[in-house]
Amino acid sequence: MTNTLLKLSRATREVNSGSKAVKLLEHIDLTVTEGEFISLMGPSGSGKSTLLNCIGMLDSFTGGGYTFLGEPVHRMKEKNRSKLYKEYIGFVFQAYHLIDELTVFENIETPLLYKNVKSSERKALVADMLDRFNIVGKKDLFPIQLSGGQQQLVGIARALISKPKLILADEPTGNLNSKQSEEIMELFSQLNKEGVTIIQATHSENNASYGSRIVNLLDGKIVTE
Amino acid sequence: MIKNYIKIAWRNIMKQKVFSLINVIGLTIGLSASFVIGLMIFYDTTFDNFHNDGDRIYRVVTNFGSPDGDDYNSGVTLALEDAIKEDLNFEIISGFYIERPAIVENKDNNSEFKWPNFVVYTDKNYFEIFDYNFLAGDEVEVLSKPNTVILTEKRAADYFPELKPAEVIGKTLVYNDSLQITVTGIVENFKQRTDVVFEEFISRPTLLQTRLRQDVLNKNWNNTNSASQLFVKVSESANFETIQKRFDELTLEHRSEDAKKYNNTRTFELQPLSDIHFNENYGIYDWSKGQASKSLLTNLALVALFLLVLGCINFINLNTAQASQRAKEIGIRKTLGSSRKQLIGQFMGETFLLVFLSAILSLLLSKWLISVFSDFIPEGLEFELFKSPIIILGIIILLLIVTILSGFYPALVLSKFNAVSVLQNRLSVGENKVKLRKYLTVFQFTIAQVFIIATLLVGKQINFLLSKDMGFKTNAIVSVYSPRGEREVSKKKIYAEKLRGIPEIKGISIGGNPPASFSTSTTNASYVDGDKEVTSELQFIHGDTNYLDVFELNLLAGRVHRNDTVRELVINETFGRILGFQSPEEAIGKNVVLSGENIPVVGVMSDFHQRSLKTGIEPMALIGDWYRPRFSQFQALHISFKNESSEGLKRTLTKIENAYKTVYTEVDDYQLIFMDETIQQFYSREEKVSKLLNWATGLSILISSLGLLGLVIYTTNRRVKEIGVRKVLGASLLQINTLLCKEFLILVAIAFVVAVPIAWYGISSWLQDFTYKTGISFWVFLISGSAMILFALIVISAKTLHAANTNPVNSLRSE
Repeated sequence: MTNTLLKLSRATREVNSGSKAVKLLEHIDLTVTEGEFISLMGPSGSGKSTLLNCIGMLDSFTGGGYTFLGEPVHRMKEKNRSKLYKEYIGFVFQAYHLIDELTVFENIETPLLYKNVKSSERKALVADMLDRFNIVGKKDLFPIQLSGGQQQLVGIARALISKPKLILADEPTGNLNSKQSEEIMELFSQLNKEGVTIIQATHSENNASYGSRIVNLLDGKIVTE
Repeated sequence: MIKNYIKIAWRNIMKQKVFSLINVIGLTIGLSASFVIGLMIFYDTTFDNFHNDGDRIYRVVTNFGSPDGDDYNSGVTLALEDAIKEDLNFEIISGFYIERPAIVENKDNNSEFKWPNFVVYTDKNYFEIFDYNFLAGDEVEVLSKPNTVILTEKRAADYFPELKPAEVIGKTLVYNDSLQITVTGIVENFKQRTDVVFEEFISRPTLLQTRLRQDVLNKNWNNTNSASQLFVKVSESANFETIQKRFDELTLEHRSEDAKKYNNTRTFELQPLSDIHFNENYGIYDWSKGQASKSLLTNLALVALFLLVLGCINFINLNTAQASQRAKEIGIRKTLGSSRKQLIGQFMGETFLLVFLSAILSLLLSKWLISVFSDFIPEGLEFELFKSPIIILGIIILLLIVTILSGFYPALVLSKFNAVSVLQNRLSVGENKVKLRKYLTVFQFTIAQVFIIATLLVGKQINFLLSKDMGFKTNAIVSVYSPRGEREVSKKKIYAEKLRGIPEIKGISIGGNPPASFSTSTTNASYVDGDKEVTSELQFIHGDTNYLDVFELNLLAGRVHRNDTVRELVINETFGRILGFQSPEEAIGKNVVLSGENIPVVGVMSDFHQRSLKTGIEPMALIGDWYRPRFSQFQALHISFKNESSEGLKRTLTKIENAYKTVYTEVDDYQLIFMDETIQQFYSREEKVSKLLNWATGLSILISSLGLLGLVIYTTNRRVKEIGVRKVLGASLLQINTLLCKEFLILVAIAFVVAVPIAWYGISSWLQDFTYKTGISFWVFLISGSAMILFALIVISAKTLHAANTNPVNSLRSE
């Protein structure tokens, strides 16, 4: 029972830099089925982050087709698209991107606010998540009071709180030492076993090995799969 | 969600303490001014809005037109009431006559009351137009019999302090030693704000037993006294054109020969009840209360608006400037699923929180402001008015408007950031936003600059008016007024005799008003020179033969009148010129016709200013006291002192007062007025304008400078690295400071250029009201421009010097 989660066909992203059109992504064909753990690899500037952003609907492809759970994203209005990614996608960033002004608890809670979840339910969900990641004692601290690994844990917890089908992780361990990296990657494979689809961009062969499939990018094109 | 927003808003406010403080101060000042001024507008516009069918109640007033200008009288001729009685356009017509009795006595407890005010002679109709609540007495047969009176609760408490309202009914009061009047009713004073302030209502037929008997019987069409008031309540179907036509017919029908001859016109007009509080032409009944002025309220509202806008601008500038610091948060929120609308909502919420905070501070401040601005604020206005529902609603609306005005644009800018570029640190600060901040800053400083220039010029004009030679002695001279109602001169003569014994006194004159005063007495004069007739208005001052000496007025030709009662004129130069005389000497011996009587000119005095310098010099004549003994125009003793300085002044004044007490043993009505104080009072309005401008200037400079400081702090912080690099490369402190100040000083300079024509135009139109005006000097602009730039420089340097002084090692290390 492997359902297709998303499908890219000849997806392209072009931007204008000065007077020249630059192709950041060119003719990407990729099918992701539910439960996969994909690692995107390639040198800096090969288009890994752009591809993640476009899949995550923060950016959009300028050409080609993108279907997500059978729905044609490339023909959707902004509003529906935002509804879609709010529902199914969670992000994890290299620089964690926690809101400095909010405590750990509030950071994790924020996605639920935008999904209009009731206060009591929010509290319960966040408490579960804190429990699961063993950071209950840190819930009232601000991001700046945490180590990098702890911050990334919070970032992952925040990405998971809305129970997404897909997690997009852009070099999630890029700012961490090797021990912390290992912990995070273990967490990812654990999540993947629980059924969450993961796409990560990474430089590290070691990290990529946690995944079920490796996609190599170079100059905006898929070179090997 | 809301709780989360408020939480983060609060943390942001606390994190940016300086910026928040600048925002709160600016908004608080603007809001406080708006609150207090809004309260004043509310107070003044809610007078007499509680009467039944108040929109159908009108006062009939008289307007006089003549070639010399218009004149307004709040009263009408006594004859008008009868003439319109049958008109079906009027539902109720109520005339009343205002007359203060000299004395009212309550024989029961032997108490007496001198000159009680707000006493009217009226009838039942008055109580039908104005709905009073009767506390005691007959409500049906109201004031139908002569010698009856209705008192308000308050007045009854004065006359009969120990009695309850019901017990006062049937008691007798004695008016003017002769009239025995019975109290038949007690009414409640109006609880709401009102200009209908009467306290004592005597039945109208009683008028026939007073000095006004002849006036009431004759009902002369050509006699208009402001004491004779006429109110009407028009019927619901009233046709105002017909009413006005009927009025015009009546005035035409009763136009006097004199009016035709001098081309004078008269019109009756219906003045709405709601207009009474504002219309200065007709005045209000309680003079001590000071009338509301629409122009003053408008000006105040403008000041409040400006201050509020300045505060909003600070907010916009500081928040867009800081936008990049919040970009990361915005980007994250967007990736977490926040829509743009939700972000705008969040930022508006933050703005509202800040505005709300300022509003609370403003409420506290308002209490204090009400006392600071007591010159502008009507007496009855109290802080308690804030409890009224309309005011509360108004404040809520105002807060929402301010929130939208200051918060919406920054919210738009902030929520627009693209999540991907923000999170990849590829943020570009739009050139447009920098430009907008510059425009807004220029706008702020233009307002501040206009206020500065205006303040200086208004001050200069006031100074000019006060220091200009009036043409007569104005310092070390006082006037002592005799008791009100004294109609003969003998006691004044005794008093003058006593004063002559005081060595510090230089001269004494018994006379009417001093050369410059608020009251005038005018008549038409004509002069026949061969076959040519010249007519002119002629003002009078009354005085004895010492009058010119005491006030040091120059006699240019001839002599003063021989004694107090001889009918001779001492005219001023202006009148001589109008009559066509080439030199003062030529006028001597000529006859001027006053009310059909030939009066010889015996002297010519030099011109002097009779009123404030807003008006020119009018034709005038000094005369004696012609209507003695029936009536005396001499009401005062004018006393000049030998010593011009204030040394020993107090002792002299005590001597003058003591002498008064030995002459006037029975009355206690001592009034002494300094000439120079009277002249200052001519300009009380200008002083008010000046005070208002001072405040507006101070506050607008404060708000604008704080905004500027905020921007400087922000940009300087952003350029710390650049400053460090420059210092390493060898830039001096001065060079760096210049670099940092330049861009802001340019803005202030542009503001100056924009402000100059605006201020010049505003001030010259204000000066139009003055016949004598100070020059709009170049140096005033120069001074105010330099002051503004200097001020801005100080504010800017406070931050930039600090930044330029920082060790570059610190600012460069982290990179």
